[in-house]
Formats: sequence, structure tokens, C-alpha cells
Amino acid sequence: MSAPTPEPVGTLAPEATRLVETYFARVHGALLVAASGECAETLEDLRAHVYEELAATPGSVADVDRVLAELGPPERLAAQCADAVEEPSSRLEYEEKGSALSGTLLGMPYELRFPTAGRVASRWWDPTDPHILVPRVFGVGWDVNFGALAVRLGLMRPDDEDVPFASVPERYLLVSVLVPLLVTVTLGVLVAVYQGPLPAQVAVHWGVTGVADRFASKGSALVLPVAMTIFGLAVVAAAWLRRRSPLARVASGALATMLCSISATAYAQTVATAYGSSDVGILLPGLAGSLVVTFALLVTLSRIGHAAEVRRDLDDSTKGSVR
Amino acid sequence: MGNDTDGRLSQFRKGVVELAILALLHRGEAYGGEIVERLAGHPGLAISAGTVYPLLSRLKKAGLIDSLWRESPVGPPRKYYRLSVAGDLEFTAMAKAWEGVTDAMDELLGTEVTR
Repeated sequence: MSAPTPEPVGTLAPEATRLVETYFARVHGALLVAASGECAETLEDLRAHVYEELAATPGSVADVDRVLAELGPPERLAAQCADAVEEPSSRLEYEEKGSALSGTLLGMPYELRFPTAGRVASRWWDPTDPHILVPRVFGVGWDVNFGALAVRLGLMRPDDEDVPFASVPERYLLVSVLVPLLVTVTLGVLVAVYQGPLPAQVAVHWGVTGVADRFASKGSALVLPVAMTIFGLAVVAAAWLRRRSPLARVASGALATMLCSISATAYAQTVATAYGSSDVGILLPGLAGSLVVTFALLVTLSRIGHAAEVRRDLDDSTKGSVR
Repeated sequence: MGNDTDGRLSQFRKGVVELAILALLHRGEAYGGEIVERLAGHPGLAISAGTVYPLLSRLKKAGLIDSLWRESPVGPPRKYYRLSVAGDLEFTAMAKAWEGVTDAMDELLGTEVTR
């Protein structure tokens, strides 16, 4: 606009071209690898736009500076572009297709990415999300968002805690470790008492009518319950040893509680069938109990966190501070 | 196609609802249920508790709003939200940007469509 140096329209000084190219190289450099593919086309269009703008000017360094200044710093442009191609809200992660490993098939959500404590946490406990059924943490189908369930049952309000479980005192967080450990001890006692006397072949699967329909050696009947229990405890141990967030630690405890109690229930049913039980009088209540115990654990800890938060604020209220 | 339109509408509304919450809190502090109720009074925004609470949580994480538990005259304590200093600045900037957008859109769509 103001540059007085007359240059043929459309031909840029090498110095000016170098400035434009350096600018776009910096934008590319600032882009996340994940976003660079989707942004490439946009950036090509922008680069063409810049040269077009410059073609109408003398094309001096000052002109280049002015045109590039309109686009803002390269880092900001990169961030804007990445924002435009990526879903900014993580809560939509499962609604939008993040990768081929998760999405919807014939109306059924699937998730094949290895479960992380963070993902378990955000699916199992998000009281702010009104959906009770959320895409399964791993596999096909749905999991229960216990947070939404608690809100729906009137046990809490969606914003009862700022950050889930963050205000729960450490000693109470340990409850989420103790519960799966207690269930594991129960399984251990059952195995110690009954494994020896069990017959060589035991029931490991029951049909819808409650009649055992698959049998295996008593040794192999132990494999799945023990593997699930070990996996559950390993997830908890990893969350604690790596000092994950309280939400991740509690969620891993909930996952372990669920896995350990399902394991103990299945083994108890195997024992009961071997001792003459003709129905699944342990399995069904046991599975329902696993859900209830997990739910109760999450709700109880959340209530403790909520109470701590309220106490903190009401104690401070004389000072009138707002956090 | 329908899904695409819904998706775009929801993206579009998300930004607007955020500004709506900031605007409401700019007038004074309010608790969650109150925010939901007052925003629900504007059917055009199509806001429900399911939209408000995740946004409140996000705004709080972003440091734009603060919250404080207060005794309630009826029932259990309530969590009150109010704009932080950063939220106040953000609201002013967003409201200004919004004005620019509505002016431009009014002109593009024709005032008889938008008014």
C-alpha cells in the first residue's frame, strides 16, 4: 500500500518470496503431525492467496510483511488450522470418528484402542454428561456412565465436584484399592477352601435357563477368573505407581472392582454347581452385585469429595472469596 | 447429510452457548440450576442441563469462571458461578466479536430474514 519501490506487478523480489516461504515453512513446522495432512490443502490455498495479494502490490519486503501480518503469527495460524480440522471438545471424542479403531458400525459403537485409565475414567464417571449409556471402553456396545446414573437417580447434581474426586482426601481414595483387594481375598479364600475337593471336571458356562452347558478341568476353570483379577489389580497398581489423577485412580479401582467381583462370582458359581446347585443363584445376583458395588464405590467417593469441597468453601465464606 | 447439518448446527451452537453463559454470569453470579433455567427461557438456543454443565466445567477449567459453595435458604448448599477477571475480559472480547458477526450476518442474510 505504502511501499514506493516500483516493481513489475506479479514478480516478487527473491527476498520477498523467501519471506513468504519461510512463513509457511514455520506454519508447517508448528502443525501437529496429526493435523498436517488435513491442513495441507488449506495452507496451499492460503499461500496462493498471499501471492495473489502481493501481485497487486509492488511486492516489496514491506508489502510481504503487511500481507503476512494479516494472517498473524505462523504458530497461531497453525493452531487455528489444527482447531478447524480437529474436534476441539474431548467429550465428543467418541461421537466423532477419531480413528478407524473407534467409531460406529451399524449403529453400534466400537472401540478397539487399548483402554487407558483416562478413557475408562471419562466414560464411567462423567456426571456432567446426561447420557447413561456411553460407548464401551473396549469392545462393541455400551458401558454405563455411573456419574449420569447417579445424577438421574437424584443422588447428586452434575456439578457437585469441580474435578471428579480431586478433593477426596488421599486416605479415602485408598478405598478404591481396598475394595478390589478385599474381593480378591474372597476369591483366594474360595480357591483355598474349595479347589482341592472340587471334582476333576467342573462347570464353566451356564445357558440362559441356568443349566451348566460347558465343562472344563478344575484347573482351567481358574484361569479366566485369576487372569481377570490380576489384570484388574495391575491396572490399579499402574494408576497409583504412576501417580495418575484422582479420577484415573478411582476409575481404575472401579474397573478392578468390577473385574475382581465378576471373577469371584464366576468361581463361586462353579463351586456351587459342583456342590449340586441346579440354577445360577450365585451368578446372576453376583453380576448385579458387581455393578452395584462398583456404583456404590464411585458414588461414595464422589460424595466424600463433594463434602470436602463444600466444607472448604463454607469455611472460607467469611472471607467472601470465590474460587 | 442430515447428520452433517446437525453436526454443524451443534458446533455453531456450542460457541453461542458459551457466550450466553458468560453473558448471563456477566450480569451476576448464579448457581447451576438457575443458569439452566434462565437459558432454557430462550428456546432458540436449545439449551438443556446436558449442554450447560459440560460447558461450565470447561469454562472453569479454562479459568474463565470461578465457583463457590454457598448455603442455600432452601435445601443443601449451592455451587455459585461467577466470571473471573479473565472471563470478564473474554466476555467483552467475545461480545464485541459477536456484534461484528451479527452485523455482517444481518447484512448478508437480509434483515427481513433475521429480524
